[in-house]
Amino acid sequence: MTYLFDPGNWEWLFTGNNARFILEGFLINLEIALIAMVFALAVGLALALARLSRNPVLSFVAGLWVDVFRNLPLIFLILYLALALPTAWRDVWEENVPDWAPEAFQSGFVFAALVGLVLYNSAVLAEIMRAGILSLPRGQSEAARALGLSYRQSMRHVILPQGLRRMVPATVSQLITLNKDTTLVSIIAITEVMRRGRIVTSSNFFAAVEAPVLHVFVFIGLLFVLVNYALSRLSRRLEIGERRRSGAARMEVKGLEDQIPAAEPA
Amino acid sequence: MQGKSWRWLVAMLLAAVALGAAACGDDEEEPAGGGAAATPEAEQFDPSTTLGKIQEKGEITIGVKFDVPPFGFKNPQSNQVEGFDVDLGKAVAEKLGVKPKFIEAISDNRIPFLGDGTADLILSTMTINAERVMEIDFSDPYYIAKGRILTKTDSPIKGLADLAGKRVCTALGSTYEETIREQAPKADLKLVDSYSECLELIQNGAVDAVSTDDVILTGMIIQDDTLHLVGDELTVEPYGAGIKKGEKQMVDFVNGVFDEYKQDGRWQKTYDKWVGQYTDQQQEPPTQTVKEAIAPS
Amino acid sequence: MPGLISFLGDHFDAFAAGFWVTVRLVAGSFAIAMVVGTLIAALRVAPVRWLQRLGALYVETFRNVPLLVLLFISFAGLRRAGVDINAWVAGMGSLGLYTGAYVAEALRSGVFSVGKGQIEASLSLGLSYRKTLRHVVLPQAFRTVISPLGSLMIAMIKNSAIIGVSLLALPDLLKQARIVSSQTFRTDEAFFWAAVGYLVLTVAATLLIRGLERRYAIRR
Repeated sequence: MTYLFDPGNWEWLFTGNNARFILEGFLINLEIALIAMVFALAVGLALALARLSRNPVLSFVAGLWVDVFRNLPLIFLILYLALALPTAWRDVWEENVPDWAPEAFQSGFVFAALVGLVLYNSAVLAEIMRAGILSLPRGQSEAARALGLSYRQSMRHVILPQGLRRMVPATVSQLITLNKDTTLVSIIAITEVMRRGRIVTSSNFFAAVEAPVLHVFVFIGLLFVLVNYALSRLSRRLEIGERRRSGAARMEVKGLEDQIPAAEPA
Repeated sequence: MQGKSWRWLVAMLLAAVALGAAACGDDEEEPAGGGAAATPEAEQFDPSTTLGKIQEKGEITIGVKFDVPPFGFKNPQSNQVEGFDVDLGKAVAEKLGVKPKFIEAISDNRIPFLGDGTADLILSTMTINAERVMEIDFSDPYYIAKGRILTKTDSPIKGLADLAGKRVCTALGSTYEETIREQAPKADLKLVDSYSECLELIQNGAVDAVSTDDVILTGMIIQDDTLHLVGDELTVEPYGAGIKKGEKQMVDFVNGVFDEYKQDGRWQKTYDKWVGQYTDQQQEPPTQTVKEAIAPS
Repeated sequence: MPGLISFLGDHFDAFAAGFWVTVRLVAGSFAIAMVVGTLIAALRVAPVRWLQRLGALYVETFRNVPLLVLLFISFAGLRRAGVDINAWVAGMGSLGLYTGAYVAEALRSGVFSVGKGQIEASLSLGLSYRKTLRHVVLPQAFRTVISPLGSLMIAMIKNSAIIGVSLLALPDLLKQARIVSSQTFRTDEAFFWAAVGYLVLTVAATLLIRGLERRYAIRR
């Protein structure tokens, strides 16, 4: 215990470039999460609509796609893509990444990581969106049709806006999971926070002060807990707001740990 | 979404992006080459050849280790990669008249990198052996390392025979995976992504020994003097630069650079800088060819 | 196609060994998660304020920290601090403690679904708080939350792959696929069979949950 709190073991945090090095890495994780989230939302919406489509083939194929990608480990997808993604795509990425983007983003591997994250999370979000849309009372779609709106119009103006609004809290929860998942990209040699933490702990070659593994990673853990906790509070607030407004029941989406409904006292 | 929460979320997002942009503003950046002309002293290659294309791009992508001192190591204080392999890579780039761009090549992806063009050249403590020669081409050996075993100074392990039943760490996809399986089949092999993990594991006692090239092990001893080398040489490990299969022009070019490097004294200087000053051991630049390197000793 | 199948035949031992390691990791972690989750849920619903806070602290910490960070802390960090923890314990412990936070939350909602009335009735009948929890509340709570717990088991199967790529060096299914791939240079085949292995596990878990739900679940 004293090992953990001994101030001598925390000296590394205040020497040299260490803290900044790690924080910059953390920022990279957050950026990857945000970019992946944006694309995953777009792809996820397309998948959800495909699944809800009245075309049975489309619905089946989309359903199969979602089920496969939801059930594979994300690290598996990321590793495979890093090894198997055609280099042409990676070259395109590297040529087009703007110079002001952080150094870590210059690597074509970020592309593989993003594709992996988007493939996985779009499948997850597709399920969330589908649950959100299906949780709408039938009356909504029936009323829309009765008013003369076509399928597409009723989707666009009645169902989707409400259904998607319902899934905002769940989406923020998924962002928390995404944040945590960005640490996995360290395995394919992107210098985000985990890699940087390891570099700092092994930099005894150059640095004067030793950075113990335990402390460095407790620090990194705290960074994540802080950001994710803030996000979870946001999600909780959004959910309460949503529930107050529309009386929506909490949706359950299977197979995802962060989608376990937060407990509310009876 | 409620008006307040929406604005708060947008503000958070903007703040994150702004922080990101600000933080990377101070990064030392080697600007990505965009048609930078090759320097006048460099021999110009026909733009249809691989070397010519590299010159047109203005940079050569070299895969090195980022966590294996003293050959390839990212220094967090300077944010640059340094080491023996890195210096060699810089020499190749300089001779070609382009900027070197260093990316990290971990053991199980460096060969695929060459195949799919992610890297033009691999300089990451890669041993020349018969299996790899089937997948890629190599330059002539630029360094001869020896396979050794590393343990804590108070360990009862004194050599290969003592490894039976002990936990031995080496990198996934390295030649030592097979070496240990063959020479010490009763050893409990622990495979990790990189040698920095092996160092961590032996330092915290999760493994009893690490086996890999002596220079990598020396890099570990420099960081932690409670470790030492034991036993005889397991293997001879001639390091070669990895090049995509079939790129004869590039192989010849790199060999030319290496020959010059060895003959004009730069090899010796680089050796002393990265290895010699720590091990007090002398070495001469290697004179083997790739064929000799693969031949069973 | 025949190449794909013969590939499995050639390397079956490696894949099977990895599959078995993954199964053991998931089983052990699940057991830990259930025990820890139950304890923390009990804390969370305890009538004592600071116990509730303690439970909340646990949940918020372990839900928001990445598993990979936990693995580093529990294995490398603790070992450096002098604790001789081995890779299996660190792996199962990390995944178990991590998932335990979610189990606690799921159980808590299950407990709330049991309804205050039952708790009050049981207490007024003279049962202690602990007995009430043990004989009245928890059995019903568990049956309500079979579905979320099943989700967690599937999440665990996926998260177990993270243990394999960490420095714990446990040879799970994904690790074996990488080893085979680096030995044979045939990445696609190796990863294909690993994917099959993981899908077999998740499908089996899904079927198991559905079966249990049909028999035991209380719907409210």
